[in-house]
Amino acid sequence: MARIACFVEKYNFSDLRETRALENFKRTAEEKGHAFDFMFREGISEIPKYDAVFIRATTDPLFTAYVVSKTAWELGLKVVDDPESIQICGNKIHLYDLFEKHNIPTIPTLFLNKNEMHHKRFLEIFENLGKPVVVKAPYTSFSRYVEKVACETSFRDVARRFFRKSDLLAVQTFMPTSFDWRVGVLNREVLYVCKYMMPKGRWKHGAKRRGKPTFVWGRTFSLRRENAPPALKELALKACEVIGHGLYGVDIKEADSKYVVVEVNDNPSIYAGYEDCRNKDLYGKIIDYLVD
Amino acid sequence: MKPSAFLKSSIKDFTLNLNTDYRYLKTGYYVSMHAEVLGNPVIPSTESIIDASRTPILLLKASKAGIPTLPYLMASSVKQITSQFAFPVVVFAVNPFSYEGYKTAGNRSALYRAVKSLSMNYKFAVCVQPLKGEMLSFKSIFGKCEHTAEVAKISEKIYETFKIPMCKLHVQTIEGKAYLCGLQPLRIEEIFPSDLETVSTEVFRMSNKGEHLVG
Repeated sequence: MARIACFVEKYNFSDLRETRALENFKRTAEEKGHAFDFMFREGISEIPKYDAVFIRATTDPLFTAYVVSKTAWELGLKVVDDPESIQICGNKIHLYDLFEKHNIPTIPTLFLNKNEMHHKRFLEIFENLGKPVVVKAPYTSFSRYVEKVACETSFRDVARRFFRKSDLLAVQTFMPTSFDWRVGVLNREVLYVCKYMMPKGRWKHGAKRRGKPTFVWGRTFSLRRENAPPALKELALKACEVIGHGLYGVDIKEADSKYVVVEVNDNPSIYAGYEDCRNKDLYGKIIDYLVD
Repeated sequence: MKPSAFLKSSIKDFTLNLNTDYRYLKTGYYVSMHAEVLGNPVIPSTESIIDASRTPILLLKASKAGIPTLPYLMASSVKQITSQFAFPVVVFAVNPFSYEGYKTAGNRSALYRAVKSLSMNYKFAVCVQPLKGEMLSFKSIFGKCEHTAEVAKISEKIYETFKIPMCKLHVQTIEGKAYLCGLQPLRIEEIFPSDLETVSTEVFRMSNKGEHLVG
């Protein structure tokens, strides 16, 4: 019997679908004879009491989740997501730099330095990547801090905003598709495959309503991992191989029957009735990996 | 070599990344990151850049390396802190945006102010340690500093563990003994010509091995 701590924050319980997924994790672990406790910020000092830590709170090297992950790692515990994966996936510049080195097919990407905010460089980018382009802050998650720009003025506006936190930005070719593939990978095996649809008239899975603080999300279609295209699964595994052996959600776009990686996320969202819809065994597989 | 030129290059060699500010998402961080992606041995590594700026991890790794540290608590509420430690306490930010270093609190209301400010309005957690002696802050350049042997030993060991060429260290001295409390980036104004001399001697010593210098 192993003791598993699941690091969560209050917002993890604000969505009923996520709450149910967390309950599923707890039930699965207990059915397998393990103890599964939810750990909040206040309980961080209790990490040494556990055998494994499973992080469900949003991860970023700047967030508390990283401190939890690294502390558990230093103490020799099994941890998902491990600190190295958080470090790489939490910074898209790091991710694209690695993909370039290992020749993983991605959307054409350029990096923009803080000192390069001049007309010539903007022209060069538009010439190389076409118009419009997508500007990505390195810390993007949940479709935030990703914006489409079609002229130099709006490019400058967006870049100036993103440069407040980071000294480097990623700029990519705009590639509109009706959906993104999401492949869940755990320890070099495909866990689930979904299609993240774009909401009507939008170009990303989650988009802000104009003039309102709310987000509109596209639908999610799940399919059995056996039925997903083999080339898709192969690319997802290849992309994860350069990062590590933890739990990842790989976003892939399909254009002209070719697959390109959009990004690899650590800590992929798992909602009951969505990602797990056709692959119910994902809870058991993650728990088994944690106690292995 | 300038950082912006290095980020576009694909030089394969030992890389020494000289910068005063190694904070996450800043140029100092990206230089080390790019060197690592290229597969170069680099000083400092991105892992130690992130870990050294997060006080709880810094203290955990330091105590593992045999550096004396004090007990600490990572907390986000005043209630939790007061239940563990008696006043006075020293509060460190766990968010690596901070240049401010630490705040000391001798009573409850000062603690409320310190936690609110250092946690960026309760967005991040804070790291609290008991304040039993005197706080001491100093520059550490390649592990060298002008202080007592006890303090210099900590500075040297920190450099051995994290390999951060230039940083500011916070140490607490209790009855002649020194304990590590925190680490933070230096401001460019804090660098004096004498520090640059230390840097150049150290770089000269290293460059005998042959490396690319970025900074």
